[in-house]
Amino acid sequence: MSIVKKKKHVSKKNKRDWRKHCDIRDVEEFLEDQRLEERLGKFDTKPDSELFVVDTAGNDDPPEIDSKPLSAKLKKRKKLAEGPKCFEILIPDSKVQDPNAKRNHVNPVGFKPTSLSKLTDKRRLEKGVYQRKVEQGRTNRKIARDKKRANKQIHNVLPERRLRARPPGAQTLTRAAIETPHPGEHQELLQDVVTHEQRMIKKQARLYRLTTGMFSRVTAAEQEGQWLEEMSVGLATPHNPAAEPEGSDGEYRAVNPPVRNKKKDHKARRKQKEQLSSIKSSEQKQATVRTKRKEKQAEHDASAPPALNKNKTPVKEPDFVDPATLSGDLRHKQAEHDASAPPALNKNKTPVKEPDFVDPATLSGDLRHKQAEHDASAPPALNKNKTPVKEPDFVDPATLSGDLRHVTTNSNLLRDRFESLQRRGALAASKLMMKKKRKVKSYFKQGHKVTDQDIQRYVNRTAGKK
Amino acid sequence: MVSKKKKKYSSGEGAQFMTRKAALKKLQLSLKDFRRICILKGIYPREPRNRKRAQKGAGGIKTLYHTKDIKFLLHEPTIWKLRDLKVYQQKIRRARAMREYGQMKKWLRDYPDINIDHIVKERYPTFVDALRDMDDCLTLCFLFSTFPSLQRVPRDQSMMCRRLSVEFMHAVIAAKALRKVFVSVKGYYFQVEFEGQTITWIVPHHFAFQPQSKDEVDFKIMSTFVEFYTMMLGFVNFKLYHSLNLVYPPKLTAGFTSDNDKDLVDEQAYVSERIAAMNLSLARVAGSNEAEELPEIDLFSTEDEDPQKLEEAKLEAEKVKKLKTMFKGLKFFINREVPREPLVFIIRCFGGEVSWDKDHFVGATFDETDESVAYQIVDRPSMDKQYLSRYYVQPQWVFDSVNARTLLPINKYLMGAVLPPHLSPFVDKTKDQVYIPPEERELNDPNFKPLDDDSGTEIEEASDEDAEEAEEPDSDDDETALTKQYQDEIKEDTSDDDGEGDDETDAEKKKLKKEKKKAMAVTTGVTHKEHPYQKEIEDKQAFRLREKLVRKKHRNLYKSMKAGQETRKKEIWLLRKKRRLHEEKIKEDKKVEKKNQKKEAFENATASV
Repeated sequence: MSIVKKKKHVSKKNKRDWRKHCDIRDVEEFLEDQRLEERLGKFDTKPDSELFVVDTAGNDDPPEIDSKPLSAKLKKRKKLAEGPKCFEILIPDSKVQDPNAKRNHVNPVGFKPTSLSKLTDKRRLEKGVYQRKVEQGRTNRKIARDKKRANKQIHNVLPERRLRARPPGAQTLTRAAIETPHPGEHQELLQDVVTHEQRMIKKQARLYRLTTGMFSRVTAAEQEGQWLEEMSVGLATPHNPAAEPEGSDGEYRAVNPPVRNKKKDHKARRKQKEQLSSIKSSEQKQATVRTKRKEKQAEHDASAPPALNKNKTPVKEPDFVDPATLSGDLRHKQAEHDASAPPALNKNKTPVKEPDFVDPATLSGDLRHKQAEHDASAPPALNKNKTPVKEPDFVDPATLSGDLRHVTTNSNLLRDRFESLQRRGALAASKLMMKKKRKVKSYFKQGHKVTDQDIQRYVNRTAGKK
Repeated sequence: MVSKKKKKYSSGEGAQFMTRKAALKKLQLSLKDFRRICILKGIYPREPRNRKRAQKGAGGIKTLYHTKDIKFLLHEPTIWKLRDLKVYQQKIRRARAMREYGQMKKWLRDYPDINIDHIVKERYPTFVDALRDMDDCLTLCFLFSTFPSLQRVPRDQSMMCRRLSVEFMHAVIAAKALRKVFVSVKGYYFQVEFEGQTITWIVPHHFAFQPQSKDEVDFKIMSTFVEFYTMMLGFVNFKLYHSLNLVYPPKLTAGFTSDNDKDLVDEQAYVSERIAAMNLSLARVAGSNEAEELPEIDLFSTEDEDPQKLEEAKLEAEKVKKLKTMFKGLKFFINREVPREPLVFIIRCFGGEVSWDKDHFVGATFDETDESVAYQIVDRPSMDKQYLSRYYVQPQWVFDSVNARTLLPINKYLMGAVLPPHLSPFVDKTKDQVYIPPEERELNDPNFKPLDDDSGTEIEEASDEDAEEAEEPDSDDDETALTKQYQDEIKEDTSDDDGEGDDETDAEKKKLKKEKKKAMAVTTGVTHKEHPYQKEIEDKQAFRLREKLVRKKHRNLYKSMKAGQETRKKEIWLLRKKRRLHEEKIKEDKKVEKKNQKKEAFENATASV
């Protein structure tokens, strides 16, 4: 039991040092043991019964079975039996016994029926109050049972999860399914059509520029000529006097004659100066005009009402569009807007509605308000694909037929419905899917059994298919 | 003790949304089935307020659904049906691959149907709810009824749509519920009113099938929509027929029963069958009387009710009542070149009788030679043989009359005439402060004097042109007089049985009354004279005082409202002015041109001499 200590080099020179640093614990322990033996007698001579005890603790009570922890439900049940925690404070928790063992217990009011209560009970019984209560309870219970039975329905979830609050009814789409054409905005609609068409033309031009326009075209004859020229480079050509330059006098001329620093004469210099100065002055003029205009604009902005939408005004739109003046480019695509442009039912008259001018609403209006409006009317983003924008339905008045039987449309109603569902948010926007036609390559599998006849048959068949 | 750290996106917007992929996983459905069940149950993808949070930090734009909605779908019994169908599909596929066609046919025969009645009831708890959502339903059903059998569209669907759409049209005819019509390049817009709900739908022109490209429209999705809508329209038709005391299903001609072996292959034949069916009247429930006229509006004296509004409502009801019997007792004959479908529907809706050339189409009820025909609708510039006893009008007259709610004067719509504009009747009544061009105002209000008002004030040299111009308003007056006369005539026609001797007796009575009144007269008292200008000033002051009393809470709103009104007024004023200037300029140009022409002519004449 002695703790082995790390030895230290200590001096034990003097008696005091000797005593201090000498460990005599083992001797002491030994002596202590001897003393104990003397007191209690020798360990070897003792009988077993004195040394050992049979452990019988736990033999009487039943062995503990390790049970599962209680489920939440059972825990709750268990708690049901015990009193509520809030009443614990009322229970005497003192371990000291009541010094007055014969304390007088007073029954609370209502513990025992009094003569008065007996009377009222009797009266109520005669009145049939209790009877009614019982009946009512019975009917209530029946109603509850019926309700439970009626609500029974087949679900694909387990019965204990069935009681769930009913979710709200189906979502309704807030945007109108059918946008009814509105009369009286003919000019605005025409304006829309024009801007739309302009955008389309611009798009088309860009596409052309980046695809077909990127490459120069060479006709077959030109290509042939080029080829011939390239191939015949370095070949001795027969002498052609017409091809020779006019001033040829047999003199040698370098392909790249040396550059000579030819000085300009006075006249040329004067002219150059004049030109430069004129350019400069015109630039200055423009600059001054620009600054003036800016100043003016600033003044105007300052004086204009603050509600004016500043970043919109500069573009001046034509006051109204005459459908007759729509350009030919526009015409080929166009169409009478169904809102106001009435499908003139008779050919020999113009489409009827006189210009009623562009609305000035585009010129004024609170910016914030407009933003909110835009957000409300913006197509829903439900997908990475863009929601299709509504294209104006417009038929060129010139292409309108005179009667109802030959009304021409450029819109497909089914497509319109499909896109309308997307615009209303019932469907996520879909991408135009072009199905690629599968090219099936056919080949002739060669093998040792293949004869010439087989090959011929295959060739004939493929030729026939083509 | 430190509480457990909350995981990100376990609550709030992150927990509210679910991507489509997650939804598929949760519901254990394929994308095809999921799309179908979503359309049937009316569950649409949602747009989150904060997309980043809703997508749990993921970038891009994903299709998101509410978790709540997906949990709702989880309880749908039809999901099990879809899973059953999957088994059948597998079996069919296998049989086809193994070339066991007998087996395949058997599986196809036993292919189970999905019943979606309960979904209709769940989505539309009341009849009015269903009516509110009919726009899309009717447009699609009318459109699909024109389709032949297509790939990806169940075979019986278009047949079903045909039947239901004709049934619905019959219900509209029986209830006289049609209110507005508009012809556009897109098709015919119809608006009906049932139970106070307006339903608008589009019918494509003359039911021709346009070839549809598969790339543009997902037919499968549209057909699923139609599947639900046909079920819904069936319910609605049933309810409508019952409320109208009609027998449902009505017995229609042979073209509308799906069990008919002989399909009408010819599109034209089908269309004429359909129109013929519309010309029949339906069987009523035994013992029921005619559809009772709507009772007059009850007047409840509520304090906040505006008397003007009440008056307006009364007027409206009166107009609708008139509209319902507009064509009653009138016989229409539709010429061969006019599309009959919309016209038959409209005329029948307002009580008219229709017929057509019996040699060309089935279902004609009377001949062209019938003398009692009041109107013949033609869409050609001239005709060889004309009857004096009837008016020859262009189809637009019918549409415009319906929108105007009276029989319009026919002089503008006669055969070969230049038609007036056909304007959309779908006016937003809430936006009353808008500029209305004079042409439209003239249409709406026959008393309106357009444009030439100021011609009288212009005093210039009394040349010939001026004289001509002065005649123009006269001609307008002539027109108005004509319309008045025409309306009077019609009134007389309708009230012929009153007798014509009334006029004389009326005059006598009036005379007597006047005399009696004179006899009772007392000396004239001095009336309290009101200064209108003074009163105006007082009213204005009172109004300003009342304006002062606007609560602080509403003051800004009130101010902005007033400012808006002012700007709109200004806009209208500006547009009117522009228009006026434009007109004047045109006039001036014309005058100058005429003068020049005259001058030239004069010069030419003098030169020649």
